[in-house]
Amino acid sequence: MSESLLNVNDLKTYYYLAEGVVKAVDRVNLKIGYGEALGLVGESGCGKSTLGFSVMRLIRHPGRIVGGEVFFEGEDLLKKSEAEMRNIRGGRIAMIFQNPMSSMNPVYTVENQIAEAIKLHQEIPKDGIKGKVVDILDKVGIPSPEERMKDYPHEYSGGMLQRAMIAMALSCNPELLIADEPTTNLDVTIQAQILELMKILRKEFGASILLIGHDLGVISELSDKVAVMYAGKVVEYSDLTGVFEKTKHPYTQALFESVPRLDVETERLHIIRGTVPRLINPPSGCRFHPRCDHAMKICSEQEPPLFKIGKKHEVACFLYR
Amino acid sequence: MSNPLSAKSEDKDKIYKPSRATRLFLVWKKLRRSTLAVAGFGIVLVVAIAALLAPVIAPYDIDWTGSSRRPPSMEHWFGTDARGRDMFSLILYGARISLYVGIAAVSLELVIGLAIGMISGYFGGVVDEVLMRITDVILTLPELPLLIVAVAMFAVRSIHVIILVMGVVGWPFMARVVRSEFLSLKESTYVEAAKSMGASSWRIIFRHIMPNILSTIIVIGTMDIPWYIFYEATLTFLGFGDPSSPSWGVLLEKGYLYLGSQWWMITFPGLALLFTSLGFNLFGDGLRDALDVTMRR
Repeated sequence: MSESLLNVNDLKTYYYLAEGVVKAVDRVNLKIGYGEALGLVGESGCGKSTLGFSVMRLIRHPGRIVGGEVFFEGEDLLKKSEAEMRNIRGGRIAMIFQNPMSSMNPVYTVENQIAEAIKLHQEIPKDGIKGKVVDILDKVGIPSPEERMKDYPHEYSGGMLQRAMIAMALSCNPELLIADEPTTNLDVTIQAQILELMKILRKEFGASILLIGHDLGVISELSDKVAVMYAGKVVEYSDLTGVFEKTKHPYTQALFESVPRLDVETERLHIIRGTVPRLINPPSGCRFHPRCDHAMKICSEQEPPLFKIGKKHEVACFLYR
Repeated sequence: MSNPLSAKSEDKDKIYKPSRATRLFLVWKKLRRSTLAVAGFGIVLVVAIAALLAPVIAPYDIDWTGSSRRPPSMEHWFGTDARGRDMFSLILYGARISLYVGIAAVSLELVIGLAIGMISGYFGGVVDEVLMRITDVILTLPELPLLIVAVAMFAVRSIHVIILVMGVVGWPFMARVVRSEFLSLKESTYVEAAKSMGASSWRIIFRHIMPNILSTIIVIGTMDIPWYIFYEATLTFLGFGDPSSPSWGVLLEKGYLYLGSQWWMITFPGLALLFTSLGFNLFGDGLRDALDVTMRR
């Protein structure tokens, strides 16, 4: 047994397209401790969702995990058989998705779908399942769950469906919850409610969380640690204050400058010049150097490793050599 | 409720919940909005009743013979045929065979098309490639000559041979549709979510994807029934039929000889065929709209 629940080592997930190989996740290392919440931030297309799906081993063709290790409680998930993985999925690692409106099968009631998840992983007598569904729906704040669980997904609102999805994910007491932008498609008040709910449930269920997102505000609400991803690489990794207050990597700094602020009057929003590079042919050396204000000669020549600059703070940038 | 986030509006949420039987009623209610769909349903119902209750409704036994080639009258609504049998009774009994042919052939098409489309669409890869090329080959060949050649290869003239051949020739379209539905639904978030909850491939295919394409399958199946009835009639008319099963095709084939003088012998079986086909098509069209679960609101 290792000291962390999830330990991702040198993970590589590539997509094999006709135009070339997209290195969506390229030698990524991550750790999530017991009961810890890790926020994974990055722009769209930087590989953060791919990383989440890789942990679940749900990468679809033409994608493939080509290397690395994913230790979950000391066991390498990449060496498990498909049948073993099915037991882990939903039972020990669960996932919630970006779009709650399409995450439930339209032809079954909410009760039916949560009951299915419970039946897949737990040996519970038939008459006990219904009570369990009511219980879990009540915990996530569905009003009069005994009635509403008989509804079809299209009879729920987006926020309620996300609650139901969380209920389904937590129904089997998973040790790790992967939340792939769980609030992106919800409006702001609902977003706050869902985050609040996740905070409460985190305490109650004690599950570790991998929170994937691009919204720095959302990430800061829930995470203990933050990893910043850029073009398939982790560029900065630290506890919450490290990333949010002692931001080191030029990319992370630029990200924070791009957040619209109400307290400072500015003419225009700050933007990061250029675009995220196409991962088929990424820039040499540090992948951020063409867009970086502090780029040096070495940046285009060598890839920066993660430099340890504080007790829990690592940055992949030559500025901190 | 212990949770501080729980909404308090419990009473307001006690809304009307339809049971399974009521849901079937709701489909009917939606179907009723379209006059054409109701007309189609009516025709299908009439044909089905005629087929089921032929021995009860028919005024004469099929073996009964009277004076031949009588024009329509009060005793013989649709006249009599060359052997003096009552045309109306013959058409009622013919409905049994024609309907059986249509339903049996569609069932066969469903089994083959569903299996091939589902394997092709869900698993993809080389299997998909091979299955789809076979499908293409069958689709490229013209249907009627293919059916004639296939039926002619069998030594026995039997209605079952015709059904078998039609089902085997007719599945590619169904397979294509099922495949494309599988291709798009296997990428859907709820399939992804089901996988993330630990569902196996078979569970996803049968529990999560199949029910979602059921309405499409029902609609295609309904619309294909007259297609098979027509092809059986065509084959019979061209002399490849089963003379021992007096389907509408057999009646047409015999009535054709008297086209110039005794018009009723070919007209009434022809009309029966026409209306049945029309009925199934209108009904199928109506079902397409009525069965859409997500549109029920």
